[in-house]
Amino acid sequence: MNKQSIRVENLVKSFGKGDNFVDIMDKASFSVETGELIALIAPSGAGKTTLLMMIGCVEEPTSGQIWLGDEKVYDNKWLNKDTRKIRREKIGFIFQAHYLIPFLNIIDNITLLPQTSGQTKEESEKVAMELLKYFDISEKALAMPSQLSGGQNQRVAIARALANKPKIILADEPTAALDNERSISVVKMLKKIAVEQNVAVIMVTHDEAMLPLCDRILKIENKKVVSSLAKESTFI
Amino acid sequence: MINLAKKDISHSLGKFLVTAMGVGMLLGIVLIMMGVYRGMVVDAEILINDINADLWIVQEDTLGPFAESSRVHEDLKNSISIIDGVKYSEAITFQNIQLPQGSMPIRVMAVGYDPFGNINPINPDRLIEGSKLTKDHYQIVVSKETGFKLHDELILARDKYEVVGITEKTVSSGGDLLVYISLKDAQKNQFSYSNNRVRNDRERGITGNDTTMVNAIIAILKNGYNTDEVAKNIKEWKHKSVYTKKEQEDILAKNLIERAAKQIGLFTGILILVSTIIIALIIYTMTLEKMKEISIMKLIGIPNSVIIKMIVEETLLLGIIAFISGNIFSHLIYEKFPKRVVLEISDAGLLFIVVIIASILSSFIGVKKVISADPAAAIGG
Repeated sequence: MNKQSIRVENLVKSFGKGDNFVDIMDKASFSVETGELIALIAPSGAGKTTLLMMIGCVEEPTSGQIWLGDEKVYDNKWLNKDTRKIRREKIGFIFQAHYLIPFLNIIDNITLLPQTSGQTKEESEKVAMELLKYFDISEKALAMPSQLSGGQNQRVAIARALANKPKIILADEPTAALDNERSISVVKMLKKIAVEQNVAVIMVTHDEAMLPLCDRILKIENKKVVSSLAKESTFI
Repeated sequence: MINLAKKDISHSLGKFLVTAMGVGMLLGIVLIMMGVYRGMVVDAEILINDINADLWIVQEDTLGPFAESSRVHEDLKNSISIIDGVKYSEAITFQNIQLPQGSMPIRVMAVGYDPFGNINPINPDRLIEGSKLTKDHYQIVVSKETGFKLHDELILARDKYEVVGITEKTVSSGGDLLVYISLKDAQKNQFSYSNNRVRNDRERGITGNDTTMVNAIIAILKNGYNTDEVAKNIKEWKHKSVYTKKEQEDILAKNLIERAAKQIGLFTGILILVSTIIIALIIYTMTLEKMKEISIMKLIGIPNSVIIKMIVEETLLLGIIAFISGNIFSHLIYEKFPKRVVLEISDAGLLFIVVIIASILSSFIGVKKVISADPAAAIGG
């Protein structure tokens, strides 16, 4: 049974003061359940990345409440000052480019975070190898990122995001640097992960071709977040 | 736990090593500078230690032959020799001269002593070929570094001398190579005037020229006598300045080495400061190159401590490799220097501590950059 993974209530975000005042989000509320793949869309500058950073405990909102899983992490202020610990334990990030650490080989890139969280080398490598098998690139475990293609590196980046077994994945335009075929493959992969590993995935995208592959679409409209089912969406 | 510093360095090993070796050459120069100072101290004491006299009797109110000009009569040695407690006393001269050697004359210090006297300034351990002086005239013992060989002949003033002995590592307090000639030849060279000068002096009403002067009288005491008391006795009765071996060493250290030491110390300090700044700049640049990765690491939740550990370890390793290559570099080149360079383990140890402290201070710049890195910079390309 699916349960609520992300809940956002009355989220407000503004920048600057006086003539420079800009409000991006005004009492936005939405929720995401585990197993869901959500597409987050909006015109450029509407605040997609800012919203992603607020959910990811990177950017502090102006006010509102955020729950990640059962834990309320923000209530007009961070309830746990160590936001990096929240990210480490609850969230996996995927970026536009793979952003793997260039001086670490593939398996080290995947095991770095789990080992930092206290897993042993053996445990983390076992999980990493399972993930690499899952993404069909286990033979590249000892290769350096520079030796892999763009698509392979993006799969490694997704494996890294999953290595710490997070319940939330935040993906910032993960298909932006890929061709159409690879983009579809990555989004299908994210959907599969969401279902099989019971993870909530929010994916920022500009690519309308990816929207039908998602469960729901969240659109930032008039500083609010509006939700619709992908297949019924009028956004497309 | 993955060692990020090791992985990062392995990834760009060549660049890291070349950078470290570059800093190492600078540290090598620091070691050489320290070695130059040590060499000066050793050089300054060679002659005093080789002569190994208990007392130095010099012209009244002067500091002795190494610090100030001093002239006393040669026969003073006779009256010194009968003072209670004195076992032997001998006359000695020191004079800087130019030895003819090819197109470039060599500046040396000539030590004049009585070949048949009781105090021999040539340390037998340093005599590597031939013998000490065996005649009163026209023999010379030279330092190996002058380039002369045994039985070579050379012209000094108006006379021809034969090389009868070769010494090694014999230099004056000023670093000039030492040669040894007989006291009589030395007095002739130092105090005899040319015929033209003698004629000119006669026209001026100046007659006579005392060639029996020497620069100092040196004395060795009998066992059981206190050097300070014998020195005091000579001072009172002979109106001369008298210095013990220790006082003579102190005069050398204070008057000849102290200022040079300050100069070298200041230069060494500046070099260490420059090395620190260079290490700091390298670490800053290395950190800047990794800012994107650092932002990503911070974003995905890697604690600052893990990233800071990487920066500090890389800085320390850079310092250690630079220190090792600096040592190798200095040991490869120190013998090429014209003056003595003495590389001591204690100096290297001191430099190691300074390098470690400098590396830690340098790493603060990288650490500050890590702490200020914005994890949000990783999002949005």
